[in-house]
Amino acid sequence: MQKNEITTYLLGRITGGVLTLLCVSALAFFATALAPGNPASVLLGNMATPERVAAITKLMGLDQPLPVRYFLWLEATLQGNLGTSNLSFRPVNDLVMAAIPVTLQLAGMSLVLAVLVAIPLGLILAQNRASWWTRPVSAIVTLGISVPGFWVGLLLIMVFSVTFKLLPSGGYVPIGRNIGGNLRAMILPTLTLAIYLIPSLVRFVRVTATSVLREDYVDTAKAKGVSSTAILLRHVAPNTLITTITYVGLQLGVLISGAILVEIIFAIPGIGRLGMNAVLNRDYPVIQGVVLFAASGYVVVNLLIDLTYALIDPRVRAR
Amino acid sequence: MTDAPAFADMAAAGRPRRKRANILVFLARRSPLSVILVALFAFAALFGSWLAPHSMTNTDLSVALEGPSASYWLGTDSLGRDVLSRLLGSAGVAAQAFVIVVLMGGLIGTTLGLVAGGLGGFIDLVVSRVIEILQGFPTILVAIVVVALLNPSLATAMTAVGLAAVPDFARVARSVAIQLREREFIQAARGLGYGELRILWSEVLPNMVGPLIIIASFDGAQAIMWEAALSFLGLGVQPPAPSFGSMLREAQNFLAIRPSLAIFIGVAVSGVVLGLNLLGDALAEYYDSTRR
Repeated sequence: MQKNEITTYLLGRITGGVLTLLCVSALAFFATALAPGNPASVLLGNMATPERVAAITKLMGLDQPLPVRYFLWLEATLQGNLGTSNLSFRPVNDLVMAAIPVTLQLAGMSLVLAVLVAIPLGLILAQNRASWWTRPVSAIVTLGISVPGFWVGLLLIMVFSVTFKLLPSGGYVPIGRNIGGNLRAMILPTLTLAIYLIPSLVRFVRVTATSVLREDYVDTAKAKGVSSTAILLRHVAPNTLITTITYVGLQLGVLISGAILVEIIFAIPGIGRLGMNAVLNRDYPVIQGVVLFAASGYVVVNLLIDLTYALIDPRVRAR
Repeated sequence: MTDAPAFADMAAAGRPRRKRANILVFLARRSPLSVILVALFAFAALFGSWLAPHSMTNTDLSVALEGPSASYWLGTDSLGRDVLSRLLGSAGVAAQAFVIVVLMGGLIGTTLGLVAGGLGGFIDLVVSRVIEILQGFPTILVAIVVVALLNPSLATAMTAVGLAAVPDFARVARSVAIQLREREFIQAARGLGYGELRILWSEVLPNMVGPLIIIASFDGAQAIMWEAALSFLGLGVQPPAPSFGSMLREAQNFLAIRPSLAIFIGVAVSGVVLGLNLLGDALAEYYDSTRR
C-alpha cells in the first residue's frame, strides 16, 4: 500500500519535472530563435555581404521553418548534442561540461558554508528569544536580506584584495592544476555567495524552530527534566531540518541566480559567465545549452529533495 | 465595489474602519525607520529630476573621480558625473522597477490565485501546478531568455522579474480565497443569486487587500534588488542612463581608486530595500493585529 503511494507521488513529480523541462526547452529555443539579429551576420561581422549571410544562414540551417528547427534541435538535444557555438565553433557540450564543475564547486562550497552557519544560528536565536544579543543579531539578519549580494562581493574585494592584498579579486585556478591556488581564488566568491544565502536561511530556521519549540512534546521533555540543549539537539533540530531541506530546495533558484552573479563579479569561468557572454554575443546554441542545463539541474535537484523528503518524513508517505 | 453596497459593508465589518485609519500611526510607531526610508525613497523617485543639483548624464572629465565636496556632495564618477544626481535618477528607475513588477505580478498572480482558490476544481489543480513549477525557478535564467529575445532594457528585465513575482501573489490570493469561500457573507451573496465571478470580484478581492499589500512590499523590494543585479550584469538599464546596478558596474572598476563610489551606491540600494522589507514586516503585524 505505502509503497504504491510513494510510487504515485514520485511518478507525479517526475511527470511534472519532465513537463517543466519541455516547457523550458521550447521557451529557450523559441526565445533565442525569434530574437532579433541574424547570427549569421553577427558571425560575419564587418565581412558580411548579403550573399555570404545567405550562405552561412543556409549552412547553419537557419532557413528552415521554426517548428522543424525546434524538433530537429530537440532530437539532437535528447541525443546529447547541443550543437556548436556560433562564436568559437566549439561543441556546446564541451563548453558546458567545462563550466559545470566550476559552478558546482562554487555553489556546493557556498551552500555547505551557509547551512553550517545558518542552522545553528537559527536554532540558537529561536531558543534565546529574550537574550540581550538576539535583537542586534536579528537586526543584522534583516539587514542582510536587504543588502544586494553582488555589492557584498564588491565590499569583500575592497577589504581583502584592495586594502589588505590578501586574496585575489578575481580569476580562477583549475583544481587539477593547483588545489591551494584554486581554494585561494574561491574564498571570496564562496563567502559572497554564502553571505547572500545565510540571512534568509537563518530567518527560516528561526521561525520554524520557534514553532517547534511550542509543540507539546517539547513541554513533555522539559517536564521530564531534559536539559534545554538536549531538547534543542534531539527534538527541535531534527524536526526543523525536515522543513529546512524543502526550503533549501525552494532556494535552489536563488542559489543558481546568485552563483551566476558571483561568477561575473569574480571572473570565474562557470556556467553563468558562459551564459552571460553568450547573451551579449547572441550565441544562440550556447544560450540554449546553458538555460537547458541550469533548468535541468534545478528540476533534478528538486526531484531529489522531494524524494529525500518522502524518505525522511513518514507523513509525506502517508499522504 | 460600489455596485454592492450592502455586502461591501458586510465585508468591511470584518476589518474595523477605525483601526484601518490608524495604519500610518501604527507604522510610524512600530517601524519608524521603514517609514523614513520609504518616504525618502518615494520623495527621491518622484522629485529626483528637480532635486538633482547637476546633470545625470553630462560628462566632464576634468572633475572625474572626485571625492565628496561642497559642489559634489557624494563626489563624481569616472566620467565626472555627479554621484548624488545619478543616485536620485536611480531611485526613479528603481521605483519604475517596483511599479512594473508589482503591477505585473499583482494583476496576473492575483487573478490566477483568486480564480483558482475561489472556483476550485480543475482550474485550481492546473493553476496550482503552474504556480508550483514557476515558484523558485531561477529568475536570472528567465531574464537571460527574455533579454536574448527582446534586447536589454529596464522593461524587459522587469518583465522577467515580474514573471517571478506571479507565483507569490497567486499563492496568497489562492489561500485567502479558499479561506473565504465558505464564510457567511459569501454564502449570503451566493444566496442572493450573485454569480461566482461577481462574488470573487466584489466580496473576496476586497478582503485580500492586506495580504496583497504585504506581498507587494516584499516583492517590490526584490524587484529593486533584481533591477540592480540585472543592470549590473548589463541585462537591464543601459548606460549612460543612471541605475543602481549600472552605477555599481562602473564603480567596480574603480574600487582601488575611489572606493567611496561603490559604498555610496550600495548603501543607497540597501537603504531602499531595507525600508521596503521592514515596511512589509510592519504591515504583516498590522494586518495580523486587526484581523483579531
